[in-house]
Amino acid sequence: MQNTDSPPPETRRSPLHDTHVKLGAKMVPFGGWDMPLNYSEGTLAEHAMCRSSAVVFDVSHLGTMRVTGPGAFDALQRAFTNDLDRIEPGRAQYTHLLDPDDASVLDDIIVWWVDSDRFDVMPNASNTSRVGEALGGGASAPEIHDVTSTRAVLAVQGPQARSRLAEVAPEAAAVRRFRVAEVKIDDVPVVVAGTGYTGEDGVEIAVPVDAAEKIWNLVTSAGISPAGLGARDTLRLEAGLPLHGHELGPGITSLQAGLGWVVRFDKPEFRGRDALLAEQARGPHRLLRGLVVDGRRPPREGQTVLLGGEAIGEISSGNFSPILGQGVALAFLRPDVDDGDSVTIDVRGTEVAAVVTKPPFHT
Amino acid sequence: MNVPEGLRYSTDHEWVQIDGEVAKIGITDYAQDALGDVVYIDLPATGVTVVSGASFGEVESTKSVSDLFAPISGEITAVNDELADQPERLNTDPYGDGWICTIAMSNPDEIDALLDADGYQTLIDG
Repeated sequence: MQNTDSPPPETRRSPLHDTHVKLGAKMVPFGGWDMPLNYSEGTLAEHAMCRSSAVVFDVSHLGTMRVTGPGAFDALQRAFTNDLDRIEPGRAQYTHLLDPDDASVLDDIIVWWVDSDRFDVMPNASNTSRVGEALGGGASAPEIHDVTSTRAVLAVQGPQARSRLAEVAPEAAAVRRFRVAEVKIDDVPVVVAGTGYTGEDGVEIAVPVDAAEKIWNLVTSAGISPAGLGARDTLRLEAGLPLHGHELGPGITSLQAGLGWVVRFDKPEFRGRDALLAEQARGPHRLLRGLVVDGRRPPREGQTVLLGGEAIGEISSGNFSPILGQGVALAFLRPDVDDGDSVTIDVRGTEVAAVVTKPPFHT
Repeated sequence: MNVPEGLRYSTDHEWVQIDGEVAKIGITDYAQDALGDVVYIDLPATGVTVVSGASFGEVESTKSVSDLFAPISGEITAVNDELADQPERLNTDPYGDGWICTIAMSNPDEIDALLDADGYQTLIDG
């Protein structure tokens, strides 16, 4: 694999770092990056803005691996679980990278198929090199460049994301769900995808580093307010979306996470296919489910879930749902548990009642 | 950060307002800012005896769980029940509507171990 950029320092900074600090953001370490947790209004206000109007997140910490050349398509098809034959250039696809031996989800990834021989592959912050390794090798290996440090990525999300963005960047605002397009914003070339991680409509925009602040300011000038990683996490949890390291990761397969639709077994080959087929045949020993708490108390990762006094699983993510005004969680539970079952959660010695509920929780 | 004069402070970032034998307590502005948006508080019950430095409740924000440590020993005489449904008061008015409980002190000498406003300001500036 070629790496065109200098090696990353200990903690990486977004091209928008100074902009966040000027806005009064509380900065926290996340996946090796120093990123905004929240701005002055706080996580709950930012969450509410995303559900009711529109917000912008800096998600530059997600990696971008640019995979190009005639071997690019085949390399991605062999590495990832989803099937690129189901889409075409100008589209985005959610997919998984599996461990070849036990089918653990090493990363969950969005592929932006920008142009016939160009794919921008977006892994999680800490997984960029792992994805590069999976795609490399072989006689017809594609060119792979880690272009993470050349761009910033802005996620504009919310029911008014498109209408507000259209005031300042109409071409970007017009990119539909799971479409990808190269457009210009104020003469700056950007790549836009109709993707996101909040359960709301919106777009994600990759912009060159030297124009990042200008475009951020343009977006916020349209009444789209900044939101940090705190709101990003409560939003994705409320939407029932998985977070790597919690609902996906070592020992967790796509089938256990309820994401079998990401896996196309009709493809002849992909990493981890045999191991995942074996699990499908015997049936996963646990499944990811949603829980809604009776009351405000947030469940937390690692807490035990009980049914009739018997442990049936463990919380993978939990927090407070601002929309419900109740605690919510995702949990890996015994596969025989049904939606509507009443369970309890052992919250540091206190049994808290909850109901098994199919996410998303906010709609 | 707001550190009102006339209150005493624990190194666990709680404030204490002394009124005769009774201490009213809450968390400081610094504490609420560090916690982030508070979404749940596990309040103690009246009549419960608490011991200085020991946990007597929990406060949960969107990002973490924190113990509440009693800044002073005694018996809980009143609890701010409004916080159960409006825990955000801990953020919006930590020294006023966000008060947590009152304690009938069993050992008022413990007050001497608490910081004054200057001492607490020095602690959080450190």
